[in-house]
Amino acid sequence: MEQDAQLVQHCLRGDGSAWEELVRRHTRRIYNLCYRFTSNRHESEDLTQDVFLRVYRTLGSYRSAHGGFATWMTSVTRNLLIDHYRRTKRDRLTDSLEDALPKLEEKESAGRRPDQAALAGELSEQVQRALGKISPDLREAVILRDLQGLEYREIQEVLGVPEGTVKSRINRGRIELARLLEQMGVRPE
Amino acid sequence: MAWTCEQIESRLSEYLDHLLGAAERHEFEAHAAGCARCTELVGRVGKLVGEMHRFEPLEVPPRLVSNILEQTLGKRAEKKGWRAWLGWLRPIAQPRFAYGAVTVFVTTIVLSQALGFQIRKISKENVKPANIYRAADRRAHLVYARSSKFFSDLRVVYEIQSRLRPEAEPQAAPEQQPAPNQRPGQSEGQPTRPRGLNRANNHNFTLLASMLDAVPVRSMR
Repeated sequence: MEQDAQLVQHCLRGDGSAWEELVRRHTRRIYNLCYRFTSNRHESEDLTQDVFLRVYRTLGSYRSAHGGFATWMTSVTRNLLIDHYRRTKRDRLTDSLEDALPKLEEKESAGRRPDQAALAGELSEQVQRALGKISPDLREAVILRDLQGLEYREIQEVLGVPEGTVKSRINRGRIELARLLEQMGVRPE
Repeated sequence: MAWTCEQIESRLSEYLDHLLGAAERHEFEAHAAGCARCTELVGRVGKLVGEMHRFEPLEVPPRLVSNILEQTLGKRAEKKGWRAWLGWLRPIAQPRFAYGAVTVFVTTIVLSQALGFQIRKISKENVKPANIYRAADRRAHLVYARSSKFFSDLRVVYEIQSRLRPEAEPQAAPEQQPAPNQRPGQSEGQPTRPRGLNRANNHNFTLLASMLDAVPVRSMR
């Protein structure tokens, strides 16, 4: 983490290789965060580029005393993801036919044995599909905790909500996710 | 006071993330142990969380990092000198290509040895296509001639051995009645076994007899 802060200092002095190092260190994490939220690789790629553009422009506002660089970047990403979610919300509401399609797939997969689904390496995809069905508040809490591995305190910083709310969202998100997976006929082994 | 199912559900993630105190943890487990519904819920959510922690992150698309750098730092200055010249090697600097290159190299060495190239004595004349063709042609003829001679020698030795070996084995096949027009000592058809060959009319008989004198018989046996 200290290394990130040093790299930021070098970047602010105009060191291009320090910026390159920061990009290489964080691209995979940010890309995965975007993908888990949007479930779309192309959108995730575009969003990751937008995140780094914004970080590059606002790097001077980062204060290492206020928290880690990774947490700060996650906050920037989260803000962009919320903007993206609001921007595409109208499209999703009018797209009722596409909403019906996953339900048909659920019925098909319900007959499959859960262990077979897990063995086939489909669990990650099934979880991704279920994540897309829970509310954005619960989704981001579960993604940050269980797929990005953030501590409760860090999630509190990123989301800007009290600790009790973080705990409640993570808990409700997990239970909701498990319930959806069971409906889909998926049971983790 | 004993915990209820609602309490178990609301504190489930704190239990899974080890955020409960010792006393609360004990209460949680005491209730869950006696409640089938809560046991099932804790097991199901616990397994899901465990699986999610093991998910491998996705690989980043190949051009993503370079696109970000290009958008932020601008188009990067092209490399000059030997770095630029060696730039084309980067995509093929992979283990599978290295393995292929080594295989091709070893094959070339084996083939050049078979064609008679002496790598240490190689000169400009050796690498001319006409000379390579001539050397290969000469090598092929030599191999053919040596093989022909070898088989010819084998044949002669075999003939001599068959002549010298005594007729000890009894004839397995029943004796056939000679044909009416058949001359004595002459069999009908061509026998399959060399020992059964009728050499009465063999014109090479004289030649083989003269060779017998030249061959050291003791060493042959």
